[in-house]
Amino acid sequence: MGEAGVPHEFGRAFTDDNVPHPTLPRKRGRDDDCTPMSADSVVLRRGSSYAFQQLARAFNANATSWIGLIAFLVIVALAVLAPLISPYDPLDQDILARLEGPSVAHWFGTDSYGRDILSRLLWGARLSLVISTVSILAAMLIGGVIGILSGYVGGRFDMVVMQAMDVLLSFPSLIMGLMVVAMLGASMGNLMIAIALTAIAPFARIARAPTILVKERDYIEACRALGYSDLRIMTIHILPNIVAEILVMASLWLATAIRIEASLSFIGLGVRPPTATWGGMIREGFENILDSASLSIFPSLAILLVVFSLNMLGDGLRDAIDPKLRGGE
Amino acid sequence: MTTATDAPILAVENLVTAFRTGGGWHPAVRDVSFAVQRNETLAIVGESGCGKSVTALSIMGLVPPANGRVAGGHIRFAGRDLVGLDEEEMRKIRGDRISMIFQEPMTSLNPVLTIGFQIAEALHYHRDMGRGEANAAALELLDQVKIPSARQRFADYPHQFSGGMRQRVMIAMALACRPELLLADEPTTALDVTIQAQVLSLLAELKAAYGMAMIFITHNLGVVASIADRVAVMYAGEIVEIAPVNELFARPTHPYTELLLRSIPRVDRDTGGLSAITGQVPAIGAMPSGCRFAARCPLREPICTARDPLLVPLADAPDHRVRCWLRAPPSEMASEAGHA
Repeated sequence: MGEAGVPHEFGRAFTDDNVPHPTLPRKRGRDDDCTPMSADSVVLRRGSSYAFQQLARAFNANATSWIGLIAFLVIVALAVLAPLISPYDPLDQDILARLEGPSVAHWFGTDSYGRDILSRLLWGARLSLVISTVSILAAMLIGGVIGILSGYVGGRFDMVVMQAMDVLLSFPSLIMGLMVVAMLGASMGNLMIAIALTAIAPFARIARAPTILVKERDYIEACRALGYSDLRIMTIHILPNIVAEILVMASLWLATAIRIEASLSFIGLGVRPPTATWGGMIREGFENILDSASLSIFPSLAILLVVFSLNMLGDGLRDAIDPKLRGGE
Repeated sequence: MTTATDAPILAVENLVTAFRTGGGWHPAVRDVSFAVQRNETLAIVGESGCGKSVTALSIMGLVPPANGRVAGGHIRFAGRDLVGLDEEEMRKIRGDRISMIFQEPMTSLNPVLTIGFQIAEALHYHRDMGRGEANAAALELLDQVKIPSARQRFADYPHQFSGGMRQRVMIAMALACRPELLLADEPTTALDVTIQAQVLSLLAELKAAYGMAMIFITHNLGVVASIADRVAVMYAGEIVEIAPVNELFARPTHPYTELLLRSIPRVDRDTGGLSAITGQVPAIGAMPSGCRFAARCPLREPICTARDPLLVPLADAPDHRVRCWLRAPPSEMASEAGHA
């Protein structure tokens, strides 16, 4: 605790605090109540969390995050509406119209069983999004808890936990997928477990680093002086300070999860055919690449679009948030 | 002051707080004893690193366990020894019966939580108040610490407040549960002079209103004169002089206190320059034997470096105690040292 005296700045003295002064006008906007509010708006403002205000500000500061968000929301809407808008059943085979190029009847063409590629893409999007969202949510939750706890407790506990995370991190996602599927069998649930396992360690790291920064802040010491329990300090005082970083990470990892899901489906470790998955469709297209290029091009473009939109969203958020959080208050 | 003659709210006895530096444990606070009555303000003064803040952290039980510990002595709060109390019990006392205000108002509030929430939280946590009730009480506290238009500011974030206003919020948080003892660790150091005066008068006012005891840590002797009832001067981890505030300013007896008072700039005296105390506080790992101030003391005699001086009362003022072989020789008062 430094005890160096702060030099007195007389120029600041009157404007800095709420001291009425005969000649100087009071500085507005800091201690003045220049925005009268009703009791309702007090409640409203209390309801909106600071973390989300930060996210909202980040959005407005960055055009690419808007493009990413809109593109992603459009894809989500198409996936949600798939049962209503897809022109054919994704599993309906039409052996007479196999491996056709794009046409009015089949906008994106058909595959080797004569199934409509557009319909399969729309249904495949549902699967990709559900798998990636659930697995990333799980990884965020588990990794976040591990990271905050490890960073907060520190010492030897932190060392052991983080080394365990490094071990987890050392498995490439495909190897992790192979291991999980080999042990548990190929299914949608196991695919989620495999992806979540890959993502836990990065989330633990991203939660731990700012926790270590924040726990040294004076206001955490003040919390201890107020007698708050460690659990309370972690959940109420540290978590809101780092949640923005975790959410940015989540948007970036959502893209990665979609890629991993597609890769695992591509090598046949994902959801079993005939269910439509993007990775599985690329695989089929790959087998028929000389007969019909559109079969692999469209699902590849779909993956590209989702990953790209999520990365733009996440990058935009990160750029906007980083300096604020790193610089501290 | 009806209870002033009763048992003190806080009695620190022979406190030793040690820190681990360079492989060994070294006491940062050594053999510190003092008592604070209800409704009384004790100021602890001294230069950087003299153990003021460590004393406060020891009372709060907040000495960082990784490299520090209370190595000896007792801290009796309302008749109960806080040394050795388990963390769970200590947590119930902290923030509820003993509170602390910190030096740096700009960083002592959580930037992502509204100030209303942060004040109400203490009540919610220690007093089991519902959110509505706690919010109402927090609003009242904001009024008490004189935040203008408190109702409008209730849902504001700390960055919307100036330093002085944040310190008021800190005070409101610390006083939320009406503590019996308030530790103020240089609460005005980071503020402008005008704001300092406001915060000091606010603290004095609230102290009187709540009838609480206050330990005010500072290195600013001007602040001490305006707020304290008694003053303890610390040097290198020890109390070297403790006396009622008027007595101390009228008759500084320890050479260190005397030099400290002489180094205050004064408008009414033309000295042609400030007198500074030459030399430095000895490092924690290299404490000299005997009087710790001896190396910088103009009155130094052979006995000063040979034997540790004791904190003994002066012959004519039993509540004025000094740790100095030359200015307060113990032989005179050896028989009375016990009961003072």
